[in-house]
Amino acid sequence: MYATDYKISELMAVCIAREIEDGDTVILGSFTPLAYAAYMLAKVTHAPNMMYVAYSAVDARPFQMSFFTSEAAATRGAAALWSMTECINSIHVKGKGDVEAVSGAQVDRFGDINISVIGPYDKPIVRLPGGAGAAEVIKMHKKMIGYFPNHTKQTFVEKVDFVTGTRYLYSPEERKAAGLQPGPIRFITNLCVMSLERRGDPFMVESLHPGVTLEMVQENTSFPVVASPNIRETEPPTREQVELLRTKIDPYGTMEFDFRSGKERLAYLEELLRREYENA
Amino acid sequence: MDWEGEQVTASKIGRLEDISRYVKNGSSVAIGGAWTCNHPMAAVREIIRQGIRDLTVYTIVGSIDIDLLLAAGAVKKLVFSFVSLEAFGLAPNFRRAVEKKLIEVQEVSGLALITGFEAAGRNVPFLPYGGPSGSDYLKVSPEIYKTVTCPFTGQETIAVPAIRPDVAIIHAARADELGNVQFDGTSGSDWDLAKAAKKVIVTVEEIVSGDVVRQNPDKTKIPRFYVDMVIHAPMGAHPTSSVPAYVADGLHMLEYARAAAKPETVAEYIQEYVMGGEDAYLEKVGGREKAEKLKRLAEKVVLL
Repeated sequence: MYATDYKISELMAVCIAREIEDGDTVILGSFTPLAYAAYMLAKVTHAPNMMYVAYSAVDARPFQMSFFTSEAAATRGAAALWSMTECINSIHVKGKGDVEAVSGAQVDRFGDINISVIGPYDKPIVRLPGGAGAAEVIKMHKKMIGYFPNHTKQTFVEKVDFVTGTRYLYSPEERKAAGLQPGPIRFITNLCVMSLERRGDPFMVESLHPGVTLEMVQENTSFPVVASPNIRETEPPTREQVELLRTKIDPYGTMEFDFRSGKERLAYLEELLRREYENA
Repeated sequence: MDWEGEQVTASKIGRLEDISRYVKNGSSVAIGGAWTCNHPMAAVREIIRQGIRDLTVYTIVGSIDIDLLLAAGAVKKLVFSFVSLEAFGLAPNFRRAVEKKLIEVQEVSGLALITGFEAAGRNVPFLPYGGPSGSDYLKVSPEIYKTVTCPFTGQETIAVPAIRPDVAIIHAARADELGNVQFDGTSGSDWDLAKAAKKVIVTVEEIVSGDVVRQNPDKTKIPRFYVDMVIHAPMGAHPTSSVPAYVADGLHMLEYARAAAKPETVAEYIQEYVMGGEDAYLEKVGGREKAEKLKRLAEKVVLL
């Protein structure tokens, strides 16, 4: 039974969770609440055999979202504790990774992602964090899953200011020849779910979130998008999924954090931290 | 001959003040930890207290450790793949230093740095790896990424040079006085930093006897022949974590993020929190009560 009352954060988490198949190896980098919650949801519903690696904790147990305790929870529930080097050499480079959802400041019509600079590289308007493992994640994992809670023309740009990460090889043939796993490229936003087949192909809108039109997606994207022949409304979350997110996985509401900006964001974070701290 | 004699009891114990034996103006220093986890913060604060400058700093996944060094003007060149306060926002002093060109920067992908440290650890001049083809890293750091041809198969691959910092500074759970270092939780790529660097300084939560180390030999990830100095620094990763002993202090990270926003306020932060020494720092950030709370949070995880 579908939920009738849900937030956009919950819909996006469910969309990301749906990309995870039972048995997938999923990697969690820094604490990004929306992606983390989606992985936990997949693990406790349709993908119990999924193995995830969080921080350097391997095959960890699913845990409740928390800004204070996510690392400790992953470590405590782990079947193995590796170093970052062991994780990257054994999973990313070895071609054992299936999903590690990525986000960034910009994505362009090739699906290239920028987490490095806004503006010219030598004279940046905003110096962003940098990619950490994003370049390897985007190129090497089986599926490229991008998630963007702010689908605007500033995010979906014609050409990124810096290519931090690129799929590089797109088609199954090219990927197999290079020893890379073939898999889908999909972008989950607050408006829709889009996919990309090959470099230079247009983004294909696969599903529109309830209340969103193709025109709205186009108006908020700097490059042309096309409708998939099977375009449909995004399947809403089920009641069970929403219930799990709200009561078990994310009772503090960490996922909402990704949907706030600027000062409001830090104020929201402070409120969450104080609640967690006082409960300890 | 008494083999338990002097030759095996050469203590490596130092004090924080002693780090200047290895970390000098102009040194290249790799800082351990990753994300908001296990950064050697007590040593970072000591570098600032001693006014050590012109450092070349290597960080793979940097956080407040790097932002604070930049705020204090200790860095001449930064080699990095990521610097951010994550949930607490972009790292303001990293932004300022790069946007205003106050320092030299070299941006590389995380795996290139790790592979460079591995090459140094194995004593080879470079290592090949399936690098970030198609990305702009190759354009901005051509001295780090070259293409090599496999002499056996003819396959082309990316190669990165060995990275051999003067000093690696790492935080860990415990060590014995000879320098056998144990980790209990997240360790980033610290083991590789230790193998790559010419000198290794490790700050630890506790110093224990060799017998205690030998009860759990599997936890010893950096044996003593790599280690030059062990420093007792309880809560030495604060405000980052040293899981499972304590979690990152999110409330202090938030306070730092707000202070870091402007040069004047971060200067006040450094004056108030850093310059008075570690005992004063730990007292100011909440003392025993805060420490116990952060420990309790590390225990109080909810598994589903």
